[in-house]
Amino acid sequence: MKSIRYAVLVVLGLFWLLPAYLLVVNAAKNPMTFTTKTSWAPTDFHLFENIADAMALSGLGDSVIATLIYAVVSPLIAVMVGAAAGFAIVALNLKHGFLWFVVIFGGTVFPLQMVLLPLFDAYSRVGAYDTRFGMVIVYTAISIPFSAFVMRNFFTGVAHSVFEAAVLDGATTWRIFVRLYLPIASSALVAIFILQATFVWNDLLLGLTLSQSDNVRPIVTTLAGMQSTYGGAQLSTVLAAAVLVSLPTVVLFLCTQRFFAKGLALGQY
Amino acid sequence: MTTTETRTAADVRSPHPTTPSHPPKSPYEWSARGFVAPGVILVAVLLYLPLLWTVYLSFTRYNGLGSPEWVGLENYVEMFADAGFLTSAANTLLWVIGTLVVPVGIGLGIALLTWNLAGGIWLRLPFLIPYALSGIGVGVIWSFILSSGGALDQALAVVGITDPPRWLLDAPLNTVVMIFASAWQGVGVNALLFTIGLQSIPKEPLEAARIDGAGGFRLFGSVLWPMLRPLTAVVVGLSIVASLKTFDIVWAMTKGGPGTVSETLALTMYKETFVNSDYGLGSAVAVFLTVVTLLASVLYLRQQLSPKREF
Repeated sequence: MKSIRYAVLVVLGLFWLLPAYLLVVNAAKNPMTFTTKTSWAPTDFHLFENIADAMALSGLGDSVIATLIYAVVSPLIAVMVGAAAGFAIVALNLKHGFLWFVVIFGGTVFPLQMVLLPLFDAYSRVGAYDTRFGMVIVYTAISIPFSAFVMRNFFTGVAHSVFEAAVLDGATTWRIFVRLYLPIASSALVAIFILQATFVWNDLLLGLTLSQSDNVRPIVTTLAGMQSTYGGAQLSTVLAAAVLVSLPTVVLFLCTQRFFAKGLALGQY
Repeated sequence: MTTTETRTAADVRSPHPTTPSHPPKSPYEWSARGFVAPGVILVAVLLYLPLLWTVYLSFTRYNGLGSPEWVGLENYVEMFADAGFLTSAANTLLWVIGTLVVPVGIGLGIALLTWNLAGGIWLRLPFLIPYALSGIGVGVIWSFILSSGGALDQALAVVGITDPPRWLLDAPLNTVVMIFASAWQGVGVNALLFTIGLQSIPKEPLEAARIDGAGGFRLFGSVLWPMLRPLTAVVVGLSIVASLKTFDIVWAMTKGGPGTVSETLALTMYKETFVNSDYGLGSAVAVFLTVVTLLASVLYLRQQLSPKREF
């Protein structure tokens, strides 16, 4: 019985990896000799040259830096803001705390499409359109509801005597939050950070709507633009760009898989 | 440290379930407001205000110039009369059903297969890799595979199929293959969630069922499936909500085409608004999408907010 399970899983797993294999093999082909006729066979190894080409050709290099900023700064702020909200509601026993929680969490229930146009409109008016600052702010706001959700759940599991003991020691609420609650929650904080960083890194819609220039535009949006602009011979360059765009999140995920499963379990779905 | 402080600290203890619903007044009220404020303000300004504005715009005619002109339900009437909108609503429904059946089903299968298996974490890895990719990344790969004469057609030619279907050009086939592309990406996370669920099942009922002679499908049907139900509700809820918003993969693979035959509601909204500059109609589509999403979310939220979660 077990050997059948192993066999099924290995076969299915290999099958699942085929598209990734095709991506890497064809992204590594020399665009000068590239033909779509022999997709399955690896011919040459031109991957790094292709990535360099993609970065130079389409402003991908500028996008990488911008996206890196968004994917680090926004989730970082969001995790802190979400933790503060969770702390206020659970540890400080905020009046109507649950209502405020619903207000914050409700932000995640609506499709992003509902906010695109007004944001585009408002951003154009206040000069935040096509700026890195504007992108950071919107990615932060989008990441807050989930963060508050997990942190509120997490803090519910922390014994209130911890808080009381700190109060007896004369600590201020700010000190209790920074010195006690944040460290206790570090694993949950990192789990949320990883999830939200991945989300921001992979976002297309906000990038399409709120940015234009190479140095503001998120990387995925740039890739989408490349895909429709280039074709034929440059296909291997586009595929190389897709490898570049995908690599950070794949590596992040593989490195944190165990931890990530644990963090999610802590968040208690 | 004074006695007063000691007493107030005790008062903060979260209310016991049997005490009246009104919690004792917290001495930290102002401090707590300060902690919750940044989250509430950011969410209110960047999510709720725009949301209300979109609802308003859906009752107006507006092309971004001048000011919106109130037209009542005109946009909604126009929307439901539009064949393109109906196609896109039908495609979205297909996405919801497809996403429920394919990635959730396979994900559950993989979780069950790797459950209690040595090295299960490694066997799940191939399925998790695509999950880390962006929708556009997935779209780029699968357009390459499914294009006419692409990798799939070449593989089919080897087994003698020289006249393969036009994967991305004919409806509804293009939507179906895109659902599979998206399933390729989504299976891993579903498997991961189901695995977490399986691991949290207490050992005793399982042992009891095994001693009673239940195994394989019977064990699954009578013990595992019922115990996984809360988690299944979450996975299903998440899938429905995510599939309603499908945008990236379709944008990368067909841009909704040829014409509009593979559009989803999310794509129609984007095109009406940012390509055709018909802000009113685009907003109406967004509102419709939201209402549907909210209705679908009820299942999910009910699970999250059920009393036993102890809010």
